[in-house]
Amino acid sequence: MVHSKKEQEMLLGTLDMLILRTLITGPAHGHTIAHVIEHTSEDVLQIEQGSLYPALHRLEDRGWVSSYWGASENNRRARFYRLTPLGRRQLHAQTHRWQTMVEAIGRVLANAGRAAS
Amino acid sequence: MSLRRFFRRRQWDEERARELEAHLAHEIDDNRARGMTPQEAQRQAYLKLGNPTAIREEIWKMNSLVSVEDLGRDVRFTARQIARNPGFAVIAIVTLALGIGVNIAIFSIVNGLFFSSFHIQDQSRVIELGMRQAGTPWTPAFSDPEYQQIEAQTHSVFSSVMVGDLGLDGLSMGESKPARVFTQYVSGNYFEALGVHPLLGRLFAPLEGATPGDDPYMVLSYRYWKEHFAGDPNIVGRQVALDGHPVTIVGVAPRNFESLSSVLDVQGWLPLGMIVPIENEPLEQFNAEGNRSMFLYARLRPGITQHQADAALALVAKRMAASHPREEHGTEFHVFSLTAGRLSGGLDQNHAYENVSAIFLALAGLVLLLACVNVANLLLVRATVREREMVIRSALGAQRFRLIRQMLTESILLALLGGVGGIALGIAGTHAITSINLNTDLPIGFSFPFDWHVTAFAIAAAVLAGAFVGIVPAVRLARANLNLILREGGRGIAGHGHKFRDALVTIQISAALTLLVVAGLFIRSLNKSEHADLGFNPNHVLTMMVDPGEIGYGLTRSATFYQALLPRLRALPGVASATVAQSVPMSDIDAGNDTVTIDGYTPPPGQSAPIVSNNFIGTDYFRTLGIPILDGRAFTDADNDKGAYVAIVSQGFAEKYWPHQDPIGRTFTMGADPTHPMRVVGVAGNAVYGTLAGNGPAYFYAPYFQHVTLNSLLAIELRTRGSAAAMIPSVEQTIHNAAPLLPVFGVTTLHQELYSINGLLLYEMVAALAGAMGLLGLILAIVGVYGVLSYAVSLKTGEIGVRMALGAQRGDILRMVYRQGLWIVGIGLAVGLAASFGVGHLLRSLITVSATDPMTYVLVPALLATVALLACYVPARRATQTEPVEALRTQ
Repeated sequence: MVHSKKEQEMLLGTLDMLILRTLITGPAHGHTIAHVIEHTSEDVLQIEQGSLYPALHRLEDRGWVSSYWGASENNRRARFYRLTPLGRRQLHAQTHRWQTMVEAIGRVLANAGRAAS
Repeated sequence: MSLRRFFRRRQWDEERARELEAHLAHEIDDNRARGMTPQEAQRQAYLKLGNPTAIREEIWKMNSLVSVEDLGRDVRFTARQIARNPGFAVIAIVTLALGIGVNIAIFSIVNGLFFSSFHIQDQSRVIELGMRQAGTPWTPAFSDPEYQQIEAQTHSVFSSVMVGDLGLDGLSMGESKPARVFTQYVSGNYFEALGVHPLLGRLFAPLEGATPGDDPYMVLSYRYWKEHFAGDPNIVGRQVALDGHPVTIVGVAPRNFESLSSVLDVQGWLPLGMIVPIENEPLEQFNAEGNRSMFLYARLRPGITQHQADAALALVAKRMAASHPREEHGTEFHVFSLTAGRLSGGLDQNHAYENVSAIFLALAGLVLLLACVNVANLLLVRATVREREMVIRSALGAQRFRLIRQMLTESILLALLGGVGGIALGIAGTHAITSINLNTDLPIGFSFPFDWHVTAFAIAAAVLAGAFVGIVPAVRLARANLNLILREGGRGIAGHGHKFRDALVTIQISAALTLLVVAGLFIRSLNKSEHADLGFNPNHVLTMMVDPGEIGYGLTRSATFYQALLPRLRALPGVASATVAQSVPMSDIDAGNDTVTIDGYTPPPGQSAPIVSNNFIGTDYFRTLGIPILDGRAFTDADNDKGAYVAIVSQGFAEKYWPHQDPIGRTFTMGADPTHPMRVVGVAGNAVYGTLAGNGPAYFYAPYFQHVTLNSLLAIELRTRGSAAAMIPSVEQTIHNAAPLLPVFGVTTLHQELYSINGLLLYEMVAALAGAMGLLGLILAIVGVYGVLSYAVSLKTGEIGVRMALGAQRGDILRMVYRQGLWIVGIGLAVGLAASFGVGHLLRSLITVSATDPMTYVLVPALLATVALLACYVPARRATQTEPVEALRTQ
């Protein structure tokens, strides 16, 4: 938990995006979201499941997701999250921004690599 | 975070707890399905989720108003940044400390002048009264009959009217040599109306002091009691002698109360009526309508405005003019707010104080602006250096808001450190001003306490400065296009701000010019006043004051004493001439003025008899002071109580009241002695008395030995052949031999007196303050010009390299850099000149040179331009030394 703090902050943007992407297929509760992220990122992004909840909380604060109590597939009470229209727009914007950024970082690191050699 | 959640966060937290429980339950279900034992399933579920309490804490924190942890992290990060680059931090902090320190020093002076607390009850309801007669300035001096009338006729607006009349008396115990005390004779209601309660014993009762000579009681100030009676707890009931009259000490005033002025530290109070015996004031004089020496204060009744009080006073004035047409013709009364720092003189000076204060606060504000601009520029340059760090942090998901907050944290931290330094500088500055030697041994002095007003101001100044210097780079960062910066390889944030930075430096130049012009105007005024023709010769004149009244001599006996003393002083080797006088130029004692009735002169309709300043002098006075006699003769020993009453008028008096006529042989009478018309025997040159602003050139002199009943407090003045100061011991010894117990005070040379508070001291202080701020402004502006050009050159290294590779000469490069510098300096000077003319115009009444003094307006811009262009030279030269190959390779 201690050293992962900084990591967490770095991954904030990423985690938000992953959550939004998961919800695009329909409402889900926290446990489902955690599992989907774990599987789709092929365990590259090993997040502590717990860090999911502050992220969900933040997204709900921004109005990108909304939540309600419902019954889960094993008939337990669980809190479900649903993508709002605002969240959907945000996902598109972020995806685009992310791709541009990745290209830019690639260029910087390539330059740095050249300067170092 | 919504506020709703902030207030409902406990409930919200319970919901989170249930949500996490649900998550664990699902995970345990899954684990069980994979065939784990119940214990193992639970353990694995917890391991995977992490600490539920920590998660809830994190969410709880998100629902809190301020993320304290983040702030702490920002501060720690900033501290590391500062530690990594201490040079930058030191420059920024020192710059801000100077700017903030100047503001604190000036503000604490203004605060001391206007907002000091006198430690009385409900200070804002206490006012001071002023009076004037057709055309004269407002003065705070009233006669006893005027006080009685005002007191009796203003019950509707004032709950009480109080009197204070200042005196200097000799306090002795037993056979000891009297110590001089600064006393105030007050009406019995004085303490009660101000809400001041005794520390020991009692203060005065309302009826005390109403009957002359009846209440021989004295109240000591806390400080005097501590310093001269060692805080004796049994002081009440002690008998002392004041000017030889026995009085009983009845109480000690509270610690902080000294007077209704932060400048005068009254040491003892007596009931008003004790003036008559102690000050040897004849009853008829005490009761004379025109004998105005009392300060009047009043407490406004609840709900009454100053305007309503003025209306009530106007009615009183009207009635008095009808009943006493000679003394009260055209009299007007007016209420004034208490002005803590007014030193002396007319109430009209209040405006001058306000103006000076406003101007100096504005100048100090300019200095702070200059300092802030410099630090903002420094931060901008650093923002460029750090922009790659910012971009990468932003790319890695740091929110831009956090980056901006981080930069603001840095700026505010720098500004707060600067503020702490500024407070230290400010305290040192005010201390330096407080401890200025006022060249007087009266217990007067500036006090500029570091109270909560000043503290609040200091914090506000520091935070404002921090916000200002932080906002500029932060806004630029917020607007910056990060992708563009990454692509351009680093000249994004500040690089686009050339125009902005140039504008900042232009503002600096114009602000510095304004500061320097103001300083120049004040310094030129001081210079002019120092070389002004005062009408007397201040060199080689020794002056001191004695009052035989303090050892119980009556007025006639005092005169005899002087008559015997003067020949002994004249006989001293090294003394050229010696005399006595009641007024000394620029000094604290002044015979004042009197109403005169002039033979052959009728005041214009609607005006009362003129009031003219005067002096009562001994023989040899004009020779001692070096005032020329232009016509007729000086006084001689024959002008005594046996001779005919005579007077000498100033040239200004003669020209004003007897234009184009021979003044010799004309007569006039003064209010203090209406039964003895005085015949003019001589005309003296105009001399400056009172303050440098002067009382106007009309002035008259009368022989002291014909008017010995007026006062026994006199100055002894001697013209010496050599150094005046060297004569002090032998002169003091001579006086001591004549009267061993007589205190001698105010021993000083007339030259020193010129630099006292009434003389050049204020000019000196103002010129020094303005000069210091001008110099500070100049330095800050030069650093600004240098910084912006150096930075521009470093950014343009590549361009310069290309130009030089293409054959540009060093001269071309020099011109290129200078062109930018000239634009900045030129526009700054033009704007600054316009601003200076405006400010100079506002200063007109405070300076003795013209507001458009050519010398100042030519020299100051020339100086600033020269220094600024020198500052351009260093970066320009560096540019010309660029090696083209080197420059191109670093690109």
